[in-house]
Amino acid sequence: MTDVYSQSEAVLDKHDEKRPRKRLNDLWLTLATFSGLLAAWLIATGTGPWDPIIQPLFLPSPALVIQTFFQLLENGFQGKSLGQHVGISLYRFSTAFIFCILIGVPLGLLMGMNRRVRAIFEPPIQAIRPVPKIALLPLFLIWFGIGDLSKIIVIAAPVFPIIAISAMQAVQSVSRMKIQAAQSLGASRWTVFARIVLPASLPGIFTGIRLSISIAVTMLVAAELTATSEGIAWMALTAAEFLATNIVIVAVVIMAVIGFGLDRLFWLLERRIVHWSGKD
Amino acid sequence: MLIEPYACGTHCSIEEAKLAFQNVSKIYGAGADSVTALTPMDLMVRKGDFLCIVGPSGCGKTTLLNLTAGFDQPTSGKIMIDGVEISKPGAERGVVFQQGALFNWMTVLENVAFGPRATGHSASVAREMAMETLQMVGLKDFAKKYPYQLSGGMQQRVGIARALTNDPEVLLMDEPFAALDQQTREVLLEEIRLLWKRTGKTILWITHSIEEALFLATHIVVMSPRPGRIRAAFQSGFGRSDDPLISVTPEFVAAKRHIFELLKSSQKDEVQIQ
Ligand SMILES: Nc1ncnc2c1ncn2[C@@H]1O[C@H](COP(=O)(O)OP(=O)(O)OP(=O)(O)O)[C@@H](O)[C@H]1O
Ligand SMILES: [Mg+2]
Repeated sequence: MTDVYSQSEAVLDKHDEKRPRKRLNDLWLTLATFSGLLAAWLIATGTGPWDPIIQPLFLPSPALVIQTFFQLLENGFQGKSLGQHVGISLYRFSTAFIFCILIGVPLGLLMGMNRRVRAIFEPPIQAIRPVPKIALLPLFLIWFGIGDLSKIIVIAAPVFPIIAISAMQAVQSVSRMKIQAAQSLGASRWTVFARIVLPASLPGIFTGIRLSISIAVTMLVAAELTATSEGIAWMALTAAEFLATNIVIVAVVIMAVIGFGLDRLFWLLERRIVHWSGKD
Repeated sequence: MLIEPYACGTHCSIEEAKLAFQNVSKIYGAGADSVTALTPMDLMVRKGDFLCIVGPSGCGKTTLLNLTAGFDQPTSGKIMIDGVEISKPGAERGVVFQQGALFNWMTVLENVAFGPRATGHSASVAREMAMETLQMVGLKDFAKKYPYQLSGGMQQRVGIARALTNDPEVLLMDEPFAALDQQTREVLLEEIRLLWKRTGKTILWITHSIEEALFLATHIVVMSPRPGRIRAAFQSGFGRSDDPLISVTPEFVAAKRHIFELLKSSQKDEVQIQ
């Protein structure tokens, strides 16, 4: 329980609106980091009166990367437009991700609520969890063909256990006292679930989802390693074979932006929906 | 002295009792690791009694309250409310926790309206009922806030309001004010006393503080630990007094000393056993 007047700095940081100046300062620091990195890149790649320290073959200059981006936008890559490459990757990624959330979260909730459901599903999920999913890609290709299905499955394979298990653990760590409080207020089993267990599990569910975004982006690269000729990660891998470092970097930046954007999106959702999280 | 011993297990019949504890014991765990939290005990609580349970840490106070709330089952014996055995939590037994039991994803109003909603009232009726109790505990203006935006004392009042809105027959309170500062505590104690006088509810109140028990209770049960048991029970006249300065009267101080000695000697017994 925190008194409004004696909250620690950490808690106050969550009340951003109360510290606009502090927040602005932090923003400047963040901007400074990025400017520094950009400056280092500019200097190393010889944008200026000096010769490049690192050859463009290894690290192209920012200007060349931007130029490459526009070229790709105009001409596409290997017969497909940049939009198509991004689109197909997004399709594979989001199909896997949405499937994992739609099935994994309810399953995790059920596992957390019911011993039998847990006994059925938890052991296999826990057993699969440490298996490196990339190693399963050849199997998936044999089982599910060389189409999009095998790619969606290889992305979903590591994400699903994380989301399901984190939802289960979120349910299990719901305060017993709060459940008891609801019961002694006359709540039925269903009311306890819908109004206590579910909302109290949301922070844990969000953590699981955000944790798996970066893993899903990584798996996108694995998924587009073989048996395809489209997709943003495939573009990076193919360009690397021709030593077209500039194209590789454009593709990597696009993937980073997708991952970062999704993370921010869920972060914003989290802040809006579970604004009360951790303030007990 | 305004307190006198009474036979808390036999002073009234089960039919007369609002709450009846018959041969109730609780052992946690099994085998070598088992802990006897409560040895078999009898206790009768009449309707309208304000019964305070005092005793040192680990003597089984919370255990007794949890059993009464129906969160847990006794190892032996049974607990009855109006002659019906308690088997699970129910809305007729309102519980106020020490702290941290508010639903922090709901506003204060939603917290307090939770009980009436759960017991079948419409949303608008539940809201009205909640607003009424919030007004009573002086938190009407905070209805739209979230619990984390309130001070500790205000949160505790929300917890009390939430339990009261259901109009339970029995209130079970486990050291509800232990985490509060002295001043807030005194104000809230006075409020509780008034509330009890106005509504005539049966209250089971757990506390570490002898003074608190004397100030509130019509009946005081003193417990001692390892194994948890009832050491003594008193009827007390202070709880019904209207004197705001009751706690500085010589009778009050004498009673306080008496119970204090009792608790101290039970600790000595324990040391000797060891
Ligand atoms: N769930 C449990 N499992 C095992 N032992 C328990 C459990 N709950 C309580 N105990 C044990 O039972 C005994 C009584 O505990 P209880 O919580 O009832 O004490 P208490 O009088 O409420 O103490 P305090 O004043 O510190 O709150 C203690 O020895 C405790 O270790
Ligand atoms: Mg206790």
